[in-house]
Amino acid sequence: MLDKKITFTLNGKKVEFIGDPLRRLIDTLREDFGLTGVKEGCGEGECGACSVIKDGKLVTSCIIPMGAVYGADIWTIEGIRDTELGSTIVEAFADGGAVQCGFCIPGMVLASYVLLKEKSDPSEEEIRQAISGNICRCTGYDLIVKSIRLADERRRGV
Amino acid sequence: MNTCYIPENLTEALEIRRKTHALPLAGGTDLMVQAKQGIGINPVFKSPIMIITGLDELKGIRVEDDGTLVIGALTTSAEIAADERVFYHIRTAASQMGAISLRNTATIGGNIANASPKGDLPQPLILLDATLTLASLDGEREMKVDDFITGAKKTALNDDEIIKEIRVKPVEANYLFYHKIGTRKANAISKLSLSAMANVKDGLILDFRASSGAAGDKVKRKREVEEMLIGKAVSDIPSLKDGFLTAWNGILSPHAMPTYRRESTKRMLSYFLDKISEGAELGIIS
Ligand SMILES: Cc1cc2nc3c(=O)[nH]c(=O)nc-3n(C[C@H](O)[C@H](O)[C@H](O)COP(=O)(O)OP(=O)(O)OC[C@H]3O[C@@H](n4cnc5c(N)ncnc54)[C@H](O)[C@@H]3O)c2cc1C
Ligand code: FES
Ligand code: FES
Repeated sequence: MLDKKITFTLNGKKVEFIGDPLRRLIDTLREDFGLTGVKEGCGEGECGACSVIKDGKLVTSCIIPMGAVYGADIWTIEGIRDTELGSTIVEAFADGGAVQCGFCIPGMVLASYVLLKEKSDPSEEEIRQAISGNICRCTGYDLIVKSIRLADERRRGV
Repeated sequence: MNTCYIPENLTEALEIRRKTHALPLAGGTDLMVQAKQGIGINPVFKSPIMIITGLDELKGIRVEDDGTLVIGALTTSAEIAADERVFYHIRTAASQMGAISLRNTATIGGNIANASPKGDLPQPLILLDATLTLASLDGEREMKVDDFITGAKKTALNDDEIIKEIRVKPVEANYLFYHKIGTRKANAISKLSLSAMANVKDGLILDFRASSGAAGDKVKRKREVEEMLIGKAVSDIPSLKDGFLTAWNGILSPHAMPTYRRESTKRMLSYFLDKISEGAELGIIS
């Protein structure tokens, strides 16, 4: 079986991948593109550490094969943290004390980004829902929820 | 080394399927986990794979003139959950599957074809007598979801077929109930689920349906048992309830935690029937 050429957009740039279309997106991002902000926790879609944004939606890159990325628009923490909303969230996480070991944080920031992109002034329940697929072993979530609220307030200028 | 095809349209997919019997990969949320090797190592599949994720012909939701709801096999749980035209039980079940990222990836076709007794969507689909359109190079055939899933992880899918879409006719009802008991809030696959619906008019039960998920090798539903209540007066529910609950319990065959599953099912159905019998406000019983 010949390797397939798969073109897609990665953090705003056109890129191509040549190889086994069943290679996991996470391995391509970390090993072929050096985007090590994408973390591998469970490798089974359960923990959210490997979260990326695909066509505007939060997905777990450990269970997505390259063949499903054909023509897609992929964003990782490396691209999102340079956006206006992304940097606001990253700063709010730091100021709000949301970060301990940091392993879950790239995924948390991406989950928050998708939420805040879609919603202004989300309720606590909506925030908890939005990060419900992202497991944090350190913080107990409360400071993360507070930091997402802080990010939302800052970008709304309140 | 994996053999993998990426067809560009349904016809090409059906040709590949006929020639190679390659297994369709839709969202990959079941297949990728099964084939997982480890960090940095490509997953290994025992059979050829065909990635159908990009096939637009299998995507989207539409409503036909007679009210039939048609859901493309590649429609994700998130898309189903977000669409107000989708009937209550299906939409609620889709909205409670996994966490957001899972719902953005998992497809309805994959959930049905996977035929896990713990899968969340077959249960409401079977409640509503949903059918599948199965496509092959020879044409299409139509089959009830209940007949398609023949047992745990077993289906009637031929090795040259692909699920194209799911068709659901509207069912008249004015009391609706859905409840899923999962392990933890996000990414919880059903430990147990129950759908129920009743159509009540002028004190009479014109229709009654229920279906139990994760309480046997496949979704459990039985018209004969439902008929114990159909045509009866709402005021007779208290005297019919015990017999009905015993009969419903008789169709369940849970393997693990049977007592827990039987008791929980009984409690949920009993709650629903009590609400109807008390004359609760029409609509969703929560
Ligand atoms: C973290 C996590 C949480 C989960 N939580 C839930 C949950 O709460 N509830 C639940 O029900 N499930 C859950 N699942 C299981 C899984 O996500 C679902 O079963 C999902 O709907 C499968 O769809 P897919 O498109 O990803 O399937 P795939 O993995 O792509 O395919 C699954 C099977 O279906 C076949 N198939 C797919 N599409 C077609 C088609 N169009 N025609 C013919 N055959 C086809 C494939 O060949 C394969 O055999 C979870 C999985 C994970 C990893
Ligand atoms: S590593 Fe992908 S979800 Fe855990
Ligand atoms: S900060 Fe350590 S896992 Fe979340």
